[in-house]
Amino acid sequence: MSRLVLPRRDLLRASVAAPLGLALSVGAGRADAFGEEGAFHPRVVLAGDAKWEGVRATAPARWSEELARRTSAPARLRPATVRADAPDLLAEPFAIWTGATDVPALTPREVANLRRFLTLGGILFVDDQEPATGSFGRAARRELARVVPEQTPIAIGPENVVFRSFYLLRKAAGRIAGPPKLDAIVRGGAVQVVFGKHDLLGALATGAGGVPTMAIEGGPEAQREIAVRLAVNLAMYVLCSNYKDDQVHAEHLMRRRGSAR
Amino acid sequence: MTTSVEASGDLAPAWILAALILAAVSLVFLAVELWRAPRRGVAPLVAVTGVLAVAALVGALLRPVSVSRSGSLVGPRLVVLVDASKSIDLPADGDETRRAVATRGIAALLERSREVRQTFLSFGEGEPTKVPDPSAPFAVAPMPRSDLLSALESLAEGNDERPSAIVVLSDGRLDRPSDVGVDVSVREALGGLSVPIHTVPLARAAPQDATVRAVRVAGAAVAHQAFDLRVEVGCHGGLSCGDIPVTVRELRDQGEPVLLEKGVARIEGQTGVVALPLMLHRTGARVLEVAITPPEGDTLPDDDVRYVTIDVSRDRVRLLHIAGRATYDVRALRTWLKSDASIDVVAFFILRSPTDDVGATQDELALIPFPVDELFSVHLPSFDAVVLQDFNAEVYGLTQHLPALARYVKAGGGLVMVGGPDAFGPGRYASSPIGDVLPIALGPEHVRPGVDLAWFTPRFTEAGAFAPMLGPLRDVLGSDLPPMPGTNLVGRPREDATVLLEHPTLTAGDVPMPILAVAEIGTGRSVALTVDGSHRLAFSSFAAGSAGRAHGAFWDGIVGWLMRDPRYESAGLSLARSCLAGEEAKLVVRSLPSEGAEIAVEIVRLGSGEVVHTSKVPIAAKGKPTEVAIGRLPAGGYRASVEIRKGKGKAPVVRQDFACEKGGDEWADPRPDVERLRLIAQATGGSLVEVKDLGRLDLPAATPVDAERQVHPVAPPWAWTSAAACLLGAHWLVRRRRGLS
Repeated sequence: MSRLVLPRRDLLRASVAAPLGLALSVGAGRADAFGEEGAFHPRVVLAGDAKWEGVRATAPARWSEELARRTSAPARLRPATVRADAPDLLAEPFAIWTGATDVPALTPREVANLRRFLTLGGILFVDDQEPATGSFGRAARRELARVVPEQTPIAIGPENVVFRSFYLLRKAAGRIAGPPKLDAIVRGGAVQVVFGKHDLLGALATGAGGVPTMAIEGGPEAQREIAVRLAVNLAMYVLCSNYKDDQVHAEHLMRRRGSAR
Repeated sequence: MTTSVEASGDLAPAWILAALILAAVSLVFLAVELWRAPRRGVAPLVAVTGVLAVAALVGALLRPVSVSRSGSLVGPRLVVLVDASKSIDLPADGDETRRAVATRGIAALLERSREVRQTFLSFGEGEPTKVPDPSAPFAVAPMPRSDLLSALESLAEGNDERPSAIVVLSDGRLDRPSDVGVDVSVREALGGLSVPIHTVPLARAAPQDATVRAVRVAGAAVAHQAFDLRVEVGCHGGLSCGDIPVTVRELRDQGEPVLLEKGVARIEGQTGVVALPLMLHRTGARVLEVAITPPEGDTLPDDDVRYVTIDVSRDRVRLLHIAGRATYDVRALRTWLKSDASIDVVAFFILRSPTDDVGATQDELALIPFPVDELFSVHLPSFDAVVLQDFNAEVYGLTQHLPALARYVKAGGGLVMVGGPDAFGPGRYASSPIGDVLPIALGPEHVRPGVDLAWFTPRFTEAGAFAPMLGPLRDVLGSDLPPMPGTNLVGRPREDATVLLEHPTLTAGDVPMPILAVAEIGTGRSVALTVDGSHRLAFSSFAAGSAGRAHGAFWDGIVGWLMRDPRYESAGLSLARSCLAGEEAKLVVRSLPSEGAEIAVEIVRLGSGEVVHTSKVPIAAKGKPTEVAIGRLPAGGYRASVEIRKGKGKAPVVRQDFACEKGGDEWADPRPDVERLRLIAQATGGSLVEVKDLGRLDLPAATPVDAERQVHPVAPPWAWTSAAACLLGAHWLVRRRRGLS
């Protein structure tokens, strides 16, 4: 027992309370320690020769920070990227696929790897940065139809557990107000792929000092809070599955929704 | 020596009969002819020569021989079946027991041993067994059943000489045949054996007694669901009963039995039934004490109390899953639990700690308070098992309920503690009552830091390599396990714990540190899993190779073992036959074949916790059941614990509760049933005989057996032929002279 050991939870809590810029982050490539390997990790999946750069590059970290600040769930504070055809895609059950424009067709290896990811129980969040044009959204749906050809997306709203996994949400929102509902590929009652037309990562993107770098469109600044809450709910759905659908919560939440109307 | 004249042996009986008929017809024709003849004076001489000629012809055909025999008479085989069920130790009509009457009956039959060849067999359960010394008092060990039909079937199907008659000595209170369709059942049991059965009652009068006649579960006993225990009370022998109080108590590991229900049985005729509503929360075999308060004058106090084993099944496993925070490990376990239709999971995950800044009002949150007090003070007994996953007892108010949780485990509940930064020592369980019910030791040295952050790959222990509990995981992965991101630090395994996975480098004292350890705690079970990376069996590059099935296989084994699913038990336990107090009892252990393994058995009395028997026996070869003698036990409830040991490894303990009774079912109804004995005799052409009349019992006749036989022809064949020719000629001459044609 001579190995150096650290109280990781205390470190993690300390990181949540620390100023953003001083936040302690764990290894970018893989979780390296007890208690963190199972933490929420908003990885960005890259297909083809795509790169992860630009103004939204800070968004995944903000996603983790908000989750760790608002909830008891641990999160990876310096998220990584992963190639769509890399074995690492299968290391963890969550990934984000985002873009603004049309994407080239996925390679057979990428299709096969994404299919294995979803078959194992992974959840993919598809975030359209430019829903006004919808080029990326259409391309992503086209390519994912090759990955899960037997499934078609359906609209999910406040009746779905994603909208009450932590916050009680009435609608979805991001940098763009967008439609109140999300689209999702649902198999056996479980959400596998979520399609957002709200540029969620754009709403989460921050610059120095944690100041948002992209302006909200189509609504007041409060819309950004809805976007953050949606991000937290998505993370909680990834971590807890349909926990909030349990009967023990149902009556309580129904009463609360009723009083909120 | 006897001598007789018979026809030659080379003639078939049909030819002999034909010759005699022909001779008789010839004589009849001759008589008719002489009767009608006009001259009566010719008749005597013609008749004499005719008769002689016919006789000579018959002699020539049959060629009679003289047979001289010397030999003896052999008595018929008589099988005597003596009832060896426990009920023969009940009183007979006088001061003696039914066993003593049976001894007298055997003695009376032995006096007729010159007439019949007797075989004395005792019957009770299964095939009848030979009475060792019929001339001694009948001392065969009593059996918990009285199955006459099995004994008759054995006689009918056996290869031994078939008996000419059967004598049954019994009180008539038989399990088989029952009192319905006696004649049909007995004839079917005898099959092609058509022999009379003579029955001899060992008693006729019912004792003055109130008794717990039967205890039955209406439907099935399912955990957490109410069911009726129907108690039938008998009252007979002239005892005045009226209302009889009935109490049902459950025998526990330690302490006095716990009262479950009371009721009153109203006796009408000779019986009364009371249905007592019960609800048992723990599954498996539970031992209940069912007792009546008899009225004055009860002569058999031993049948006023029954110990019955109720097998409590479960509709679904009701499992409480509590997690201190949401992680991929929690997600994986929840997903598996929810995917199993046989598990009813109630989950509480801490999604928000007191220090979290949610930035919203309570109404905007989908959060409910964690009802720790209500869960652990009210609802805990309704769960079959509790999973504490990375849960800090101090922060979330569980500390004050840890004593109750420990009692819950000792009383039969299941507990799984899953690792994480807030589990085991860091979760504030060290030096708490939970320490008594975990399979591993936890001390102050495991609180801080309490975890080791280095990646490692767990390895199977010797026990883990053959324990059925990890069989499904081994089937999927073989001996490979995925690397784990660190572990909680824990101490040595308990003395009675089984370590299935261990750390490759860390030690606890002088042994490798346990990673997965299990233990039997009181009547409950607990599991310690010190890692928080079992989700890597479900979702990881490693898991992809098995399509994530390894996670389900792993937890199937853990929850299955916790719930005593026979598939994951190291062995199956049962009693060779119902346990009767004071009689040698045997435990049957069925386990996977394992060369060189031994079985360690411990029998503990429920209530006192006294160890009444321990033994070690080698496991039977080729997967055959191993029988272990566990001695003569007094009446009461017992727990049998069995551990399979091989080398340094030992499989998780298997336990089975059972009851031992003074008389069991055999004493539940002490009334003799002479009518059933009469029906048995009547169905087979036998008779109902009292013991005092056995000397006059009509037995089959003896069979002569030749020792020597000599055959001599009365006359040579040519003499018979010559005589027949001469006499026929003389008869012809006489007829001519007398004017007959």
